[in-house]
Amino acid sequence: MTETLLFKAALAAYVASAVVYGGSLLERRVMTARFGAGLMLVALGMHTLYYIFRWFAEINIPSVGGYDTLSFFAWVMAASYLAMQLRTKTRVLGAFVAPVISVLMVIASIDLGGNVAGSAALTGTLVIAHVMLSVAGEALFAVASLAGVMYLIQDRLLRRGRDRSLIHLFPSLHDLDRINHLCLFGGFSLLTLGILAGSFWARIVWGSHWQWDPKQVWTLLAWGFYAFLLHQRLALGWQGRKAARWSLLAFAALLLMFVLESFFFRSAHTFL
Amino acid sequence: MKLILIGMNYKTAPVELRERLQNYCSNQDVALPDLMRNSEIKEAICLATCNRIEVIARLGDPVRGEDFLKSFLSRQGNLDIEEMEKYLYVYRDIEAVLHLFRVASSLDSMVMGEPQILGQIKEASRMAVDRHATGVLLNRLTHHAFQVAKRVRSETEIAGNAVSVSYAAVELAKKIFGSLKGRSALLIGAGEMSELAARHLIRQGAGNIFIANRTMARAQQMAEEFHGAAVPFDDFPSFLPEVDIVIASTGAPGYILNAQMVAAALRKHKQHLLFMIDIAVPRDIDPDVGELDNVYLYNIDHLQDVVDANKALRRGEALRAEELIAEEVAGFEKWFNSLAAVPAIVRLREKTDSIVRGELERFSAWLGGLSEEDRAHVEWLVSSVVNKILHDPITVLKEESSEGEELSDMAAIRRLFKL
Repeated sequence: MTETLLFKAALAAYVASAVVYGGSLLERRVMTARFGAGLMLVALGMHTLYYIFRWFAEINIPSVGGYDTLSFFAWVMAASYLAMQLRTKTRVLGAFVAPVISVLMVIASIDLGGNVAGSAALTGTLVIAHVMLSVAGEALFAVASLAGVMYLIQDRLLRRGRDRSLIHLFPSLHDLDRINHLCLFGGFSLLTLGILAGSFWARIVWGSHWQWDPKQVWTLLAWGFYAFLLHQRLALGWQGRKAARWSLLAFAALLLMFVLESFFFRSAHTFL
Repeated sequence: MKLILIGMNYKTAPVELRERLQNYCSNQDVALPDLMRNSEIKEAICLATCNRIEVIARLGDPVRGEDFLKSFLSRQGNLDIEEMEKYLYVYRDIEAVLHLFRVASSLDSMVMGEPQILGQIKEASRMAVDRHATGVLLNRLTHHAFQVAKRVRSETEIAGNAVSVSYAAVELAKKIFGSLKGRSALLIGAGEMSELAARHLIRQGAGNIFIANRTMARAQQMAEEFHGAAVPFDDFPSFLPEVDIVIASTGAPGYILNAQMVAAALRKHKQHLLFMIDIAVPRDIDPDVGELDNVYLYNIDHLQDVVDANKALRRGEALRAEELIAEEVAGFEKWFNSLAAVPAIVRLREKTDSIVRGELERFSAWLGGLSEEDRAHVEWLVSSVVNKILHDPITVLKEESSEGEELSDMAAIRRLFKL
């Protein structure tokens, strides 16, 4: 039961962090945002302990299926956001990140401790690697998109805005662009590895790398978007508004895939 | 507390009078000994800046001390006392504490939130300490004032936003580039404004500075000062791809930079961000430039708006700072009141110490028979019993006096222990 308690404590701390970050937006104070970051660090610590406990209790390997994936997604978002804070001044970016994490954790908590074992085919190191790498990659894309959203808002504020205190509160364009770039780069590498792991495993189980599974098609499409965006960034030096918009577009494709796939299609990837 | 703060500032006295006093007071080797020569002045600090002259002192007799300070200042100001009193403000005790805290926190400054005043107070207090003009009260007071100022700076945004046009530009640049370290700038036109802005940029770590001006000599002179490079005025467009920041301030009658030129430069620039300030009137840069992706263009009106908004923001923050200061003044008052208990506590300790010493002396023959270690144990035992017994009465004394009420418990303890 310790792990359930840890999960709930982490959830509560994430929500508290989201509330404090929201407060820093309302109050227009960077100090408050720092407090929010502290809370998120506490939450991440408990969330990590939750996984460690599960590991030792050998309940099951994290994030192979179901709502559990969302919890891992949230964990990667929190960890990468806090890691960014070491390198740049993220200021109130957390006000966008923390609520997303909180919502994911709330959904994940619905099925807390439930049976998450999928079909017999869904075991083995390759599956675990496939799921963890892909989910981590997508979580980094989520952080990249949030940085992109904030970039576009800050850009607008700087161009027309009279809202001085909000400009002051938001991170600089340079920092936001950097966060967007780093997350895209990390996310793309992880997702590529995840896709590779998945296709090797499919080869073993189904005898073919490619299944024409709807999720595979969409993911490849989104992967293509991201590949294009990264190419433009690295080769042509795309920066700023255009890059931010494209990262949003690519993430929208990923999200759309997730929604369509969950509600309309049946596939080897349907667990929810 | 017998504390007094007497002085004048830019609001109460004309600059001629302040000058005369400042000339005198800023020479602390003369001013402080002159003050301390009077027997009513127990401690003193003399603060003299271009905006204020203030003397903070602990007095022996409050009335005579105050009279002396007034006549002292009017003598230095070359005025009658009646004449002088029109320009002076006098704060006593807690009011003096409040005033000093406000001044140190820059709430009383001409430009609210400016950082210099704290350094000036630190300097003045150091001068006074070096000349042995201060004691427990003023040392503690100034130390507390520094802490208050620090708290106000960190917990409010009173110094958070730029209140000058050139600094507002730098703040905006930081919201675009994050840090200005290594960023390069092109100054088109070498006027006073652009010089000021360049100075701010360099202080923030900006790298290369290019200066284009119609009169090359002026450009070269400025380039020398900023370790930059003067470029021929007609060539300035070819430097656009090299820089992150452009400051235009020429006297040209029309636009000298249009969207086409900047877009072409950006293509060579690999789409870096470009921050442009147009402080010329009439404007130098076509407003269409501001519509380009990754270009952020501001003119003098934008910057003035920023400054006005920031000034309003500071006034709002000042209210928060006042609350904070009121809290700190109360804290200082509590400390000061607790001083009243100090003599009684000292006497109590002296009395018990002498009893302990006397009794140990009386038993010295017997103690002599013990080992070194045992003797130490006995002494430790005796003094720890005494300390335990004294602990509660001393706590009561401290609490009672810090509340600043009638000291009835102190009277009782004095009577009971025959202090």
